[in-house]
Amino acid sequence: MACQLQTENIRKEYPGTVALDNVSVSFDGGKVHALIGKNGAGKSTLVKIFAGAVQPTSGRILVDGQPVVLRSPRDAFAQGIATVYQEMSLVPGLSVAENILLGRLPHKKVLGASVIDWPAVFARARAVLDGMQVSLDVRRQVGDLGMAQQQIVEIAKAMSFNPSVIMFDEPTSALAQHETQTLFGLIRTLAAKGVVIVYITHRLQELPLIADTVTVVRDGRYIGTAAMAQATPQTIVQMMFGEVVQKERPADLKAGTEPVLQVRGLGQKGKFHDVNFTLYRGEVLGIAGMLGSGRTELLRALFGAEAFDAGEIVIGGRSVRTVTPSLMKDLGVAFTPENRKEQALVQILSTRANLCLASLDRISTLGFTTRRRERSVVNRLVARLSVRMPDTEQPVSSLSGGNQQKVVVGKWLNTEPRVILFDEPTRGIDVQAKQQIFQIMWDLSRQGISSLFVSSELEELLEVCHRILIMKKGTLRGEVQPGTLSVDELFVRCMTDE
Amino acid sequence: MPPLESGSRVRALLRNSVMEIVLLALCIFLAFRADGFLSMQNFLNVLRTASFRGMIALGMTMVIIAGEIDLSVGSMVAFSGCLAAWLTGYLAGPACGMSLGSAVTLSIVASVLAALGIGCITGFLRVRFEVPTFITTLAWMSVLRGSASLITKGFPLTPFPEWYNFIGGGYLLGIPFPAIIFIASFAIIQVLMSYTSFGRAVYAVGGNAEAARLSGIKVYQVKVLVMAIVAGLAALSGIMQSAQIMSGSHKTAEGWELEVISAVIIGGTSLMGGVGRVWGTLIGVVFLGVLVNGMTLMSIDEYWQPVVRGALILGAVLINLAPSSRK
Ligand SMILES: Nc1ncnc2c1ncn2[C@@H]1O[C@H](COP(=O)(O)OP(=O)(O)OP(=O)(O)O)[C@@H](O)[C@H]1O
Ligand SMILES: [Mg+2]
Repeated sequence: MACQLQTENIRKEYPGTVALDNVSVSFDGGKVHALIGKNGAGKSTLVKIFAGAVQPTSGRILVDGQPVVLRSPRDAFAQGIATVYQEMSLVPGLSVAENILLGRLPHKKVLGASVIDWPAVFARARAVLDGMQVSLDVRRQVGDLGMAQQQIVEIAKAMSFNPSVIMFDEPTSALAQHETQTLFGLIRTLAAKGVVIVYITHRLQELPLIADTVTVVRDGRYIGTAAMAQATPQTIVQMMFGEVVQKERPADLKAGTEPVLQVRGLGQKGKFHDVNFTLYRGEVLGIAGMLGSGRTELLRALFGAEAFDAGEIVIGGRSVRTVTPSLMKDLGVAFTPENRKEQALVQILSTRANLCLASLDRISTLGFTTRRRERSVVNRLVARLSVRMPDTEQPVSSLSGGNQQKVVVGKWLNTEPRVILFDEPTRGIDVQAKQQIFQIMWDLSRQGISSLFVSSELEELLEVCHRILIMKKGTLRGEVQPGTLSVDELFVRCMTDE
Repeated sequence: MPPLESGSRVRALLRNSVMEIVLLALCIFLAFRADGFLSMQNFLNVLRTASFRGMIALGMTMVIIAGEIDLSVGSMVAFSGCLAAWLTGYLAGPACGMSLGSAVTLSIVASVLAALGIGCITGFLRVRFEVPTFITTLAWMSVLRGSASLITKGFPLTPFPEWYNFIGGGYLLGIPFPAIIFIASFAIIQVLMSYTSFGRAVYAVGGNAEAARLSGIKVYQVKVLVMAIVAGLAALSGIMQSAQIMSGSHKTAEGWELEVISAVIIGGTSLMGGVGRVWGTLIGVVFLGVLVNGMTLMSIDEYWQPVVRGALILGAVLINLAPSSRK
């Protein structure tokens, strides 16, 4: 069923922005087409147009050479186009199976009435997951799953349509290495069947592993397409940014000797136990570990998002056992959660409001504040992070994924913290923005501010940190110095039990 | 990224002021068709009538923006009026023998404090035990109305001195006293919501309570405070109402909760939380006031009023949704 997906002069305008500017691209069946570009380039917008979720301002879409009009996601499904979105679109209160088959639950007749055929629902959902070679209980509530597992459900949902076109918008940004491998296997199988695959990613190192062609967009414009076999990393980066400066880890970066945060015997039932470590002044301390190792839970507990039930945290000469986010903020701790949509941003509020969220008290005098005053803070942060957006008064939801992530980090910079807890801060951001975040960590380090940095991308940890703790099954199992081992070695240490 | 031409700016402005334009159109229509609409006397009357509900609507705006609701405000109006009346009678009566002046003052203070306490309890139950405010205030709605009947034993209480009427029916510098309180409340709440960090926190909590909490905002404070504020405003309104009718009656303000919520919604505040404007509520309140006044002046059957109000709520919501749903 070799199929072809094309656009002709697609243009999409938003108030104040042109997200896509006369883009004409073509994707053939049987190949994996990587779609790349920096944050806000227009990748997600293009995908949403193919998915029928967003209407183009002008231009045409063609499927197999025939013009089609996709007024709604339903129209797109009818054309066999399925999408895995960047921001999750699952219903947390429903089971995995219901989410996968949402709107298409099989029914059966009982006494003349049509009722949901539950055994069939579970069986069919399980079949989809089996086809993907993942094991996940289809009866579990999606809200109870972690990010990676939710991502798998999202992919399973798209797969269940038996699509002839499937688009992935940064599917691996929440996945660990072995899960990524499974996904790649799946994608290759699909491609072999002639399915058109459009694949968006910021992880350029994935491209040689999975992509057949790379298509680059920049600032809403189509820059070009290259066969992966011919493209080198340099040419790709050149196409994405024009020019890019790779920042080197500064040589003068030293961690202090004065402890700022001490964690003693910290435990949370079923999540982690007996965690001990010390974070020094100006240190960038990484935590490496697989999904489910308890690293996110540990960070959340340190910030008081969840209570811990054993041990203590010593910070600023004070020992705390009962923590709340507002107390930790007052003690100089900042926290960027892994799930920006649910936990970090107020989607309907403006970028300005979100950037000021954590430092309202600081910005105001005696509780009074004005937009003008907030704007000067916001402008400074926007410049420091180079957030790309038309207007800080627009809802933060209108920013591209990567730019939203920058807002999440940005809102804490204004609180003048002592320690920042970063949970996957580089999720979904482009190479250049990643460098900016690293640069921020290093700058903070120079100012004596420490970072605790959790990331699934081990390369990042090796590049940025002074020291890396290894976490497994809820406990810390040793520490390593970057520079003394390779990514592969670190990976092995995180995986295996010695 | 070439910027778009202006002109969309003007359109945006028009789109954001739909209710203002509709209100203006209604006033122009009534000026021509309803005799006596354009007189100063009529204007002040509309303002006075609207003020009692209007003050509560201001507080309700904060509550709804914070993602909560208060269904007990009508009962609170009746309860606080009755409580003030009963207390006044008791304190000035033979048992205590206070002067009428101090008895009235003390009763007012006590009623407002009681209301603040009740609001705090609702907020506390919300944050501590996650009881939805819909449920708690539904319970209060019944409890407070019933308590008002118990206090008054079913008959209006009339212990108030002549001058007490001033706070509900009097004029200050030619303006009805309740209207002055209403305008003052408007100014305070407008400032609170637009120019304080508390106001920003209310929006954040209503928009995404978890993100607000993880930004170190004290979510419980916000929720407790907004519930207390709306209850306090309802009590003030109840006191002024009792002064206007010079008695505490358990039958006052029946169905007000829905009228108040209507005004807030007509003003563009979203029941989903996180979105809304105090100014919009002011427009909504005036709108409903003018509409009822116009219908009365044009001697339209009063049974039409609820029908028109209902249609209006739906219309306003559709208008407010129109720009965002055209994605
Ligand atoms: N609903 C919207 N309203 C206004 N502007 C929008 C909206 N959605 C997207 N945009 C703008 O369109 C541009 C392209 O956004 P898009 O989400 O397609 O970027 P992207 O390439 O997917 O970036 P990222 O890698 O960060 O996810 C951005 O400048 C963004 O701010
Ligand atoms: Mg995107």
